[in-house]
Amino acid sequence: MVRYSSSTLDRTFAALSDPTRREILDRLAEGPATLGELRRPFDMTLPGLMKHVRVLEEAQLVVTEKKGRTRECRLGAEQLDDAAQWIETYRRRWERRLDRLGDYLERQKGARA
Amino acid sequence: MSDLRLERVYATDPETVFDAFTDPDAQKELYADAPDWVVTSTCDLRVGGRWTIEFGPPGGPPARETSVFTVVDRPHRLGYVATMTMPDGTSFDTDLEVTFEEEAPGRTRLTILQTGFPTTRLRDEIAGGWPSILDGLGRVVAARAAGPHRP
Repeated sequence: MVRYSSSTLDRTFAALSDPTRREILDRLAEGPATLGELRRPFDMTLPGLMKHVRVLEEAQLVVTEKKGRTRECRLGAEQLDDAAQWIETYRRRWERRLDRLGDYLERQKGARA
Repeated sequence: MSDLRLERVYATDPETVFDAFTDPDAQKELYADAPDWVVTSTCDLRVGGRWTIEFGPPGGPPARETSVFTVVDRPHRLGYVATMTMPDGTSFDTDLEVTFEEEAPGRTRLTILQTGFPTTRLRDEIAGGWPSILDGLGRVVAARAAGPHRP
């Protein structure tokens, strides 16, 4: 059984639970952006945007780099690996269960025939 | 419209926050993004005096900020006109009003009001840079509150 850091998963999924934060990640998937560039497509206040970026930064889904007086944001997708692995483990478990259900139904059909 | 207002509360007296905000020795903690960043500062703390800060990674051209003080009222208020240089080399002027309010003994509310941005875009860019500066100020005042400051 793969062990996951529960606090890391908590942070990752909490950060991903907000549609605006997922949109920010979508934007950063196209390339790095400063706060000024990030804000343009979003109809939200500056403190609101900064709060979302901070949550993503704390979850390490976004890393920032200071450039002079500004700060550039880019994806820090390593944390998504843990979440993807966690989901994959459950996907496989369910696949095995469905396989076993299929086997069972086949046997039932054979027994009735 | 294109104004920026920031607030932060620090667990120390206004004098410590005021001094750390302007002290050239403290600027590295405020402006460096990594330990190897080069930060140099000079501060002539009087009305009409000049305050310069240069900062950036080693080897590259530093970002430069030059200000002229319009209000020096230690430890309550600081006013200055800042010329900030952006990564693309363009620069612009804004007015800054910084207040250090003692909310309770050993508890200071720092308020920064920065006005006169040419565009909201520039305002947003600068907003992205302030939090790490205010975090750095927090580290300096915490260290100074914990023990005597030895320059």
